[in-house]
Amino acid sequence: MAAGIWVRKYVGKVEHFLVAGREMDVFLGIASLAATEFGIVTCMYTAEAGYKYGFAGATPGICQAIALFVIGVTGFCIKPLRDSGVFTIPELLERRFGPRVRWASGLVIVLGGLLNMGVFLRIGGEFLILVAGLGGDTFPLEWMMTVLLVMVAVYTILGGMLSVLVTDFLQFVVMSVGLIAVTLLILFQIGWSELAATVHAKHGPGGFNPFIHAELGWPYVLFQMCVTTAATLTWQTSIARVLAAKDTQTGRQIYTRTSFFFVCRFLIPGIWGIAALAILAPEATPSNALHAMPTFLSQFVPVGLMGLLIAAMLAADMSTDSSYMLTWSSVIYNDLLAPWHRGRWNDRVGLLCNRLIVAAIGLFLLVYGLWYPLEGNVWDYLAVTGTIYLASMSTLLIACCYWQQANDWGAFAAIITGATIPSAYLVAQHFAATQTWAKQVGPYYSGIAAYALTAVAMVVGSLLKYFFRPRLTEVA
Amino acid sequence: MTWPERFWWVVTWASVAWYLTVTVYVSIRGGWDIRRMLERLDEQNRN
Repeated sequence: MAAGIWVRKYVGKVEHFLVAGREMDVFLGIASLAATEFGIVTCMYTAEAGYKYGFAGATPGICQAIALFVIGVTGFCIKPLRDSGVFTIPELLERRFGPRVRWASGLVIVLGGLLNMGVFLRIGGEFLILVAGLGGDTFPLEWMMTVLLVMVAVYTILGGMLSVLVTDFLQFVVMSVGLIAVTLLILFQIGWSELAATVHAKHGPGGFNPFIHAELGWPYVLFQMCVTTAATLTWQTSIARVLAAKDTQTGRQIYTRTSFFFVCRFLIPGIWGIAALAILAPEATPSNALHAMPTFLSQFVPVGLMGLLIAAMLAADMSTDSSYMLTWSSVIYNDLLAPWHRGRWNDRVGLLCNRLIVAAIGLFLLVYGLWYPLEGNVWDYLAVTGTIYLASMSTLLIACCYWQQANDWGAFAAIITGATIPSAYLVAQHFAATQTWAKQVGPYYSGIAAYALTAVAMVVGSLLKYFFRPRLTEVA
Repeated sequence: MTWPERFWWVVTWASVAWYLTVTVYVSIRGGWDIRRMLERLDEQNRN
């Protein structure tokens, strides 16, 4: 926190606040991307996946590692994006599709992003309470969430991206030491054979292969490929690292060299989840699979190492929350408020506005985290809410960079389709009349439909404009 | 050990080894990156 507050003196312009003056180099970028994309919530849902599906639950990590590596090597979309010198993706889309598409893109990004992030605080608080045994009246969840949020908000509001990068680096080191130490303890004390035997006994061969797992199968793998590729291209917190990089080559190197981390991100906590499956006695197993890993850690990790683990997880959570708060606020300021400031507000007003938005997001997280009842797997919820914007933004970005005939009709059709399908699925889960239908369809088929139909909407919408308004498309 | 088991065994130990190496390397080089970034920003602010 002190380091984050100290670097605020370097923040003189909005550009410093949002993209750290575009001065970030490769290794700081790796630390920042890794720390941002690993929070307590990540640890909880990946451990839940390991507990429920065995090693097959780590499939999204492999998909994302491949996506990052390929996109980093080829520069697919991220090269033209970084070369353009924009702050956010909607800003680039405006150049091709006009200001209305920029605003609509900003809206779905903020909607999907905030719904996604809304559960972070609650899950982070639940983990810390379970692991440290703080539950009950002594330290209720609401207080744990508020303390976590205030700690993060203070330095993010003051130093923006610069504070986020410096604290991300420190948090990466602490987090990594804790993660490696606990994983080695599990691998040496419980042993690989015991873990593999447990997966065999509970899940059969499907625990090692997602294609033959009874609850997963090819729709799961295909949906993970869609989500992780789209996230690599357009997830605002990842893209913020490319945009803050000192040049395009550095941005690509950050992606390539961080790619394997995404395997670790899913597999390491996945092993913790499998260890919980192996060690927890049936009477000690919590009814909620999400709580199995922290319950196991509270019994398994010795006192000294527990301190390191809590420090590591606090570091992981702070780096994630700060970065997410900043990146969604950057879209609100840069794109949603663009019609009002039109880039003409001076740096003082711009900085004040950005800081107020970060504070407002913090308040939203606290309120939303307290009342939203989470249904089903956390990862499925995150993938579905993320799809609200990932489906349309990835389609728009690819079309913007590589399809000459793409136009604003196609862009609007893609945004509406991409947001409607996952939102409808989320709503259907909560109404008695549609709950059965939502369960039958499931998150994987609805997610695949969102990506496929969004691409179709982009093509059909763009071609319709050619058909009905040929002169307008020629001018464009 | 079956092929899928062998695959996950290799990926598990590769993850631990890679993460350990990268943590040490990035801890050293990342510190230098921060120093240089702050120097450049300081220069920008003075100009």
